[in-house]
Amino acid sequence: MVRRVAAPVQRIISRHVPAILLLSLLLAEAGVGAFIIRDLTRSSETVQKMYSGSVQGLLKFGDLQYHAQETRRSTLYALTTNDGNLQVEYAEQSREADRLVTQGIKEYLAGARTPKETQAGRHLADDWQAYLQVRDDVLGRILESSVKEAVQVDLTRGVPQFERVRQDLGQIKEIYDEQASLQLATVRKLSTASTIRLLTALGLGLLLGSVAIWGFQKIRMRSAVQLAKLQMDFVASVSHELRTPIAAVLSAAENLRDGFVTKRDDIIQTSTLITDQATQLGNLVDQVLSFASTAESNQLHPLGNLRIDEVVDDALRSTTSLLQEKGFIVERQIQSGLPPVVGDFSVLSQCVQNLIVNAVKYSNGNRWVRVSAGIDERSRQIQLRVHDHGMGIHDSDLPHIFEPFFRSPEVVTARIKGTGLGLSIAKRSAEAFGGTLAVSSQVGVGTVFTISLPVAGHELADVQFSQDSKIGDRI
Amino acid sequence: MRTGVSIQRISLAPLVVALCVVLTSHSVVHASRNNPSQSLAIVVNRSNPIDNLSFGELRKIFMGDRSHWPNGHRIAVVMLNYGQPERQTVLRLVYRMDEDGYQDHVLRGMFRGDVFVAPKTLASPEILRKFVFNAPGAIGYLRARDVDDSVKVVRIDGLLPEEEDYRLPIDERSRK
Repeated sequence: MVRRVAAPVQRIISRHVPAILLLSLLLAEAGVGAFIIRDLTRSSETVQKMYSGSVQGLLKFGDLQYHAQETRRSTLYALTTNDGNLQVEYAEQSREADRLVTQGIKEYLAGARTPKETQAGRHLADDWQAYLQVRDDVLGRILESSVKEAVQVDLTRGVPQFERVRQDLGQIKEIYDEQASLQLATVRKLSTASTIRLLTALGLGLLLGSVAIWGFQKIRMRSAVQLAKLQMDFVASVSHELRTPIAAVLSAAENLRDGFVTKRDDIIQTSTLITDQATQLGNLVDQVLSFASTAESNQLHPLGNLRIDEVVDDALRSTTSLLQEKGFIVERQIQSGLPPVVGDFSVLSQCVQNLIVNAVKYSNGNRWVRVSAGIDERSRQIQLRVHDHGMGIHDSDLPHIFEPFFRSPEVVTARIKGTGLGLSIAKRSAEAFGGTLAVSSQVGVGTVFTISLPVAGHELADVQFSQDSKIGDRI
Repeated sequence: MRTGVSIQRISLAPLVVALCVVLTSHSVVHASRNNPSQSLAIVVNRSNPIDNLSFGELRKIFMGDRSHWPNGHRIAVVMLNYGQPERQTVLRLVYRMDEDGYQDHVLRGMFRGDVFVAPKTLASPEILRKFVFNAPGAIGYLRARDVDDSVKVVRIDGLLPEEEDYRLPIDERSRK
């Protein structure tokens, strides 16, 4: 039982392996894409942080350095003139620059995030205040015309103090540089990770894609091999089907020729045998030719408006001898007043015959068949059904029964003769006229084949059920 | 009778002149009392510990007779440009000289070494104020209305510009 369930499941899985692979590939690519997008977002954030932190910090640092130099430069400019007005102007320039530096240091301290930054900022603030005291002293002495003393104060105290300020600024620059380097390293790391992921995704995609293509090719090859095998089976089956009646005909003919059959009754019996076998041969050849003709997709059929009851009656007539021989009860239920359908009469009749013959072949001893026809007003289609109470079809075989040359293992085992073409021909015939052929079956209960055909034109004749027509005609 | 009249004429002329002088000086003094912004404030750097100077000390400083403050800073006298009423007032009341006399005094003093540093001449009260703010040893003068917190006003003989009997009223007519 388990093996019986597992086999179809395994077959389904193996058939959908490429699709599963492609789906996996899609999911994998989407996952990697999400990672890459996340990395890119992080990179962007880091770059923004780097810009707002280190880069803008370095820009501010540049301003700070410039204004610190300007503070000192303006003070020294005051030394170059005796004009009190100019000296005052230089003093004011120096004070304006020092105000900007002091403000910059305050902003740096306010934005300091690490103890190292705070410490560097405090050092700078202290050293800058110390330098400003010297600067004030120098400025005062310059304005008081004590130039010599001013120079001395600047050389002994101003220069070293300003050097300390420069060192403090250098330390802050180093901190900014370190931060920028760290953030740059983070960006580089994320970029590398993205590259690796992208390459992985591409590699994975290539691998899975290759496997999927290989899977598709394998399935196609398997189908081709299966088709070839079916064709071989068909040839073997047809050969067997041909050889058996030929052998019978040959044997009967030799008996007649060699004078082994002389009595009138024996001659009649032998002749009947030859006739039957020749008829069987003819049928077989017709079926093969029919399949060949329906296999041509561009095959043109002579189309005309057909009455479905006439088609059914013709099919029943053609199979009467078989049905009677096998002792079948046939129910005929045709809705009266059905609108005509468009199609080729002989082809549709043959199609129905195939279904009736199948019902007989796979009856499994239950000799009952019903042929019914009616209209489905919703789909505006004529539906012609052939019911039987035969052996039924396994679910696993249902998707394949319309494939040419397909014969289920159970049927082969049961030595039920056939070519595997009947249903394929019937389906193609229905489809040739814009219709469909569907099946529903239950093992041990029976099978229903439904041919759906569009009504001719777009008009639906008023269809009414008569009480009589609901009762099946029995043959 | 005629003699009496002529005597009367001769004796009235000096009287009228004296009356005019008295009235003029009274009006100036009165103006300085009623309008402190018309007085001249003597200003020094805020770090300067001096709060009060006698008029005599002030004169010595401006004349260049004193070179350093008690705290050791060199005294830097700053004057406004030629022609300003404030300058004329200082020349008249402190130096007691006219412009030529002042120039002569400075040149002679520099030549002889009596005046160590010539007073600096600045273009406007605003520049003067900034100079005094920046130079710890600076001393200068401003109209009382031009004074702000960046400098310190020194009392002269214990008086501020807005007080009665302050000795440095500005004579607006002295502009040249």
